[in-house]
Amino acid sequence: MNDIIRDYIEQQFLIEFDESFPEDSDLFKEGVIDSFGYVQLCRFLEKEFNFRFQENEMTGNVLTSLSRIREFVRQKNSPAVTAPAP
Amino acid sequence: MCGIAGFFHPTLASEAYPATLLAMLRAIAHRGPDATGYVLDEHCGLGSTRLSIIDIAAGVQPLADPSGRYWLCYNGEIYNYLELRTELEGLGRSFLTHSDTEVLLQAWLHWGPACLSRFNGGFAFALYDRLQDELILARDRYGKRPLFYAPQGRGCLFASEMKAFLPFPGFRFEHDPAQLASILGVWTPLPAQTGYAGIHSLPMGHWLKLKAERIELFRYDTLDFQGTTTVASAEEAQELIRQRLRASVALRLRSDVEVGVYLSGGIDSAIVARLAQEASSRPLSTFSVEFADRQYDESTEQQEMASFLGSRHHALRITHQDIVDHFPAAAWHAEIPAFRSAFVPMYLLSRQTRAAGIKVVLSGEGADEAFLGYDIFKETLLRRDWQSLGDEPRRARLASLYPHLEHYGPQDLAAITGLYQQFAEERLPGLFSHELRFQNGRFSARLIKEAGDPLQAIAALVAAEPGYAALGAVHKAQWLEFRTLLAGYLLSTQGERMSLAHGVENRCPFLDPAVVELASSINLRFDDGFAEKWQLRQAFREDLPASIVNKRKFPYRAPDSAAFVDCRPDYLELLLSADEVAKIPFLDGKFVRALSKKIMTTPAAEISTKENQTFIFLLGIALQHRFFVQRSGLPQLPEVVSPLGRAIDLRAR
Repeated sequence: MNDIIRDYIEQQFLIEFDESFPEDSDLFKEGVIDSFGYVQLCRFLEKEFNFRFQENEMTGNVLTSLSRIREFVRQKNSPAVTAPAP
Repeated sequence: MCGIAGFFHPTLASEAYPATLLAMLRAIAHRGPDATGYVLDEHCGLGSTRLSIIDIAAGVQPLADPSGRYWLCYNGEIYNYLELRTELEGLGRSFLTHSDTEVLLQAWLHWGPACLSRFNGGFAFALYDRLQDELILARDRYGKRPLFYAPQGRGCLFASEMKAFLPFPGFRFEHDPAQLASILGVWTPLPAQTGYAGIHSLPMGHWLKLKAERIELFRYDTLDFQGTTTVASAEEAQELIRQRLRASVALRLRSDVEVGVYLSGGIDSAIVARLAQEASSRPLSTFSVEFADRQYDESTEQQEMASFLGSRHHALRITHQDIVDHFPAAAWHAEIPAFRSAFVPMYLLSRQTRAAGIKVVLSGEGADEAFLGYDIFKETLLRRDWQSLGDEPRRARLASLYPHLEHYGPQDLAAITGLYQQFAEERLPGLFSHELRFQNGRFSARLIKEAGDPLQAIAALVAAEPGYAALGAVHKAQWLEFRTLLAGYLLSTQGERMSLAHGVENRCPFLDPAVVELASSINLRFDDGFAEKWQLRQAFREDLPASIVNKRKFPYRAPDSAAFVDCRPDYLELLLSADEVAKIPFLDGKFVRALSKKIMTTPAAEISTKENQTFIFLLGIALQHRFFVQRSGLPQLPEVVSPLGRAIDLRAR
């Protein structure tokens, strides 16, 4: 999973993660994310990992860095978290 | 309309004065094909190329006062010159001609720099005082007409377009990477920027005094959006809008030649055309750009408006090939890199306009800035109130934004919500309204190696602007629009630089101080701002087709990178060849390669706005570097000969 997301972000935003640009960099503060790119990223994650973003979960700082995006997707894909309560 | 050029205490042998000044004027002859004139003395040379519009016979420049002490070269129009003339005559001033040039000169002599805020129009001028050995340069309040200056030794060069500096002996163009990074970050130059080291733009609303090696810059106008008109109701607001626009259009129809109208398909130019038709005894000529590429085309609305008016309509259909074929010539005229290709069709439209025998046109620029027509104003209101809004109003307001952008559609509401959440608090002091836009700019600024912070210059500009910090979020957004996108692109690169490339003068009735003041008195008082330009549209509801009145704002754009990928012109080598890119030392070769590769190999629908913008910027920088810095590969342009009508040499024999 890790490399797919990383590759996508590098390709979409023409950046490279390395020591000078670590994976926990805030992509907004670094000026990497624009509106079109952000929506494309969300669509990519939904399609690739088979879930839908909900409005209410987007008001937290969930997709601000590559590491946070990974964490979010991991939780989304975890049945314990995503299964509806009985 | 004209072009002006000259020098003050130049680093030049005296015998070279006439030929140098004529060569400088020849470089901008397209601005004024009707006549060239100049005056010289030991210290100064100034001249103009003139497009004759008012008092065609007597308006020859340069113009002196009867004593011969003051000499004036002037570019533009002061629309209220008849009223000023009457006032000056009442104060004892007498006139020898009927031209507005003489009114300007007498106004300066009578009121001094206080005359500038009395002028309603677009102008730039150079005034030389022989007795004091002093040169004055001044420019209108909204930046309608250009004026560039380059300090040189003890003096300076000045001109309406920078290309006039090319023939000055020893003058060299060099790009300034820090300024270019700022232009890329903000999308346009800041008021004093040109992108070239050592060349300044005289900021709008300023004048400048050169004397004995000293350059002093003075401001005479400030944008504060403090409306002073008392308006009690929406109905009264609409009546006042009709009155002031009618008066503004009537002033801008003052001309000894026929005036046409550019119809975009939107409401602003439709209002201008309707009012022009009402005020004119002649049938109206209208001009429009159509696009073969449907996503940019507004020909349905343009044709509907033209048939509603019964105008003689001239439509110019633009293909990808047209954009690609004429991009180099348009970039030569523009001189400064642009973020869109949409100026190229305007270059071709002015050619067609001139061929139809029209040399003055009215257009709708300024309405969106004055009456809050752009989505960025709604975006600012929404982000300002983001944390306090409930889910439902937030959703409704998001849904009203950027209808032409597919990724703002309902299917991506969750994603857009997440994006706006990140932009609900101010990160860049004073620039809150434009922070999302500047994200695209930061991407473009990566073209420049070691660019530093591309937004540092604009942050410093607003921090130094008197009164700016006290403005509200929407007024700050308006200020930024007036000072960057409007002056730095719409009026200049897309506006007068393209129209004057073919000797056509463009006039903007919405940019009348009385109209802008009224808009400030009305905006957000009788509506919430989310139905853009609501009062303006209501004001003309009865006078225009309903489809035009109710149409959503559709930004004027043209095919961008897709056109170049389709047509693959030879000059793409400037970006695709490593050797060519290496000739421009400040470009980040690795980023240029990555971007160019992506553009050339990715389906157009997957190319983002920021990538398109960056590509067009890059193409402009590469071509302008070639034309101005390397002085090679100049585009083939028709030669314009502006006959010499006046040559005055005051130097001691």
